[in-house]
Amino acid sequence: MEETQSKFMQKSSKRKIEQFGRTISFICIAFIVLIVLSILYFVISKGVSTFTTDGVSVIDFLFGDIWRPGEVGENGEPLVGALPMILGSFFVTLLSALLATPFSIAAAIYMVEISPKAGKKILQPVIELLVGIPSVVYGFIGLTVVVPFIRSIFGGTGFGILSATIVLFVMILPTVTSMAVDALKSVPRHYREASLAMGGTRWQTIYKVVLRAATPGLLTAVVFGMARAFGEALAVQMVIGNAAMVPTDLITPASTLTSILTMSMGNTVMGTLENNVLWSLATILLVMALFFNILTRWIGKKGAMK
Amino acid sequence: MDFKKISKYMLTTGAALLLAACGGGESGAENQDGETASGGSFDTSQTINVITREDGSGTRGAFTEITGVLVEDGETESDNTYAGATIQNSTNGVMTTVSGDPTSIGYISLGSLNDTVKALNIGGIEPSTETVQDGSYEIARPFNIAYKDELSEVAQDFWTFVMSAEGQELVVGEGYVEAVTDAPAYEAAEGLSGNVSVVGSTSVTPVMEVLAEEYSNLNPDVTIDITSNGSSAGMTAAMDGSADIGMASRELKEEELAELTSEPLAIDGIVVIVHPDNTVEDLTMEQVRQIYTGEVTTWADVAE
Repeated sequence: MEETQSKFMQKSSKRKIEQFGRTISFICIAFIVLIVLSILYFVISKGVSTFTTDGVSVIDFLFGDIWRPGEVGENGEPLVGALPMILGSFFVTLLSALLATPFSIAAAIYMVEISPKAGKKILQPVIELLVGIPSVVYGFIGLTVVVPFIRSIFGGTGFGILSATIVLFVMILPTVTSMAVDALKSVPRHYREASLAMGGTRWQTIYKVVLRAATPGLLTAVVFGMARAFGEALAVQMVIGNAAMVPTDLITPASTLTSILTMSMGNTVMGTLENNVLWSLATILLVMALFFNILTRWIGKKGAMK
Repeated sequence: MDFKKISKYMLTTGAALLLAACGGGESGAENQDGETASGGSFDTSQTINVITREDGSGTRGAFTEITGVLVEDGETESDNTYAGATIQNSTNGVMTTVSGDPTSIGYISLGSLNDTVKALNIGGIEPSTETVQDGSYEIARPFNIAYKDELSEVAQDFWTFVMSAEGQELVVGEGYVEAVTDAPAYEAAEGLSGNVSVVGSTSVTPVMEVLAEEYSNLNPDVTIDITSNGSSAGMTAAMDGSADIGMASRELKEEELAELTSEPLAIDGIVVIVHPDNTVEDLTMEQVRQIYTGEVTTWADVAE
């Protein structure tokens, strides 16, 4: 009796392996969480020191329009207004998303609804190729093709938000397209069949049924594209002009949070105000990444509730 | 979430923004009228597109100081570079931009000058090694190299080579002015091996690469790693010990001098450059200052 009981109480080798697997998985997850938290802590603590150690006002930092970290204004306050970069980042992100969305959705519709064979044979490899191109190549093409093109049409230097928008539009196109394809594919087949059975044309089915049903997924794709655009550094830095001034139009040099970071980080000494304000810009980028993440989840939840 | 509403909103916003962009560019487009693709008549009514270097660039630091763009007011310094200037973070970046834009103006190291751009005379003086050497060309600065505490044996030997007669001969050969006139001959040490990391100015990098290549020929077991990322970054790297030697295309700042030992390896001119199609040949120092502070905005204001 006792022997049988002890046999039942003993952990089987399979259970031991399972337990070991669980432990390893937990350690890996804990390690990832620890890394993420460490990065968050490091960036935020450095970013906050602009306000705690250097005494810069948060309002002046977020809404000031003069960016000269090495200099002080008439009131003795450092000239570290990040508004030009914040606006630059938002304009570039929103405009590139506005441009990319119709193209991406149109491409996705073609690949899923109109010609899946051609989509798989031609468009899919092209999109995968676009994803694989490094951002420095996009930037270089932007510098040698887009900037002179903008200059020849509008005058000016050719550098600016419009050039950055065009480069980013091409960069986020594959991201948004591939996610839009997944969103359209996830629409149940019987939705389409029901629409067609009720006498709907092919286009009515696509426009009024498939796209409506896929809207949360499509919006998620757009938000992902925006997140990619917001965080892009090198390609933007090469074509935007990097002038830290509030953008008044799309064809004069401007700057983004990432372009100023890449330009300046190597030229500052750790612990100085000039260095701390760059960490503050990085903190804004981090907060925005978090915002895009939350927005994606919220859209997903809304879609699920429907 | 209505897809119809969203798409309508997006199209409306997109159209409005594109119209705004076109509206902003009209004056610029008009300015392009007199321009031909290459070598045609240059329209001086065009707006000057100012190209500058990034904060922390030694070339920018020296240029703004010499031309008066940097204003010193007691303890504080104020860089009055035009806020709308396009910023490039390397010598090549400035050259590429200027060579592609007939209305632009920039500045680069004399030693990096090539025929894709045109160098302007300053106050009637042509930029050359001769005019830099005799002091008649005013926009000149030293190329400094610096280190902290003590150099390793191999780094010290490389430093000795740079400051030797052979090293200075290479400096002159690259189109710079020698910093050491009666330099001693270099005597190669036996059995040297190891790495020397050199970090800093994008303007000093070309001459440093030539020096490193020649030194490696003499000492095959020594590797010289050169990182080109700006003068301030070079001085920072030398101060925090992440580099053996830092390169700066400007005079060292007080706080840098307090921690580092430095020596000039060459004297270099800073050349004001324009597109080859530009008909302007000469500017005064005051005109350069006015262009770079945004006081003068069209080529007609400075054309003879």
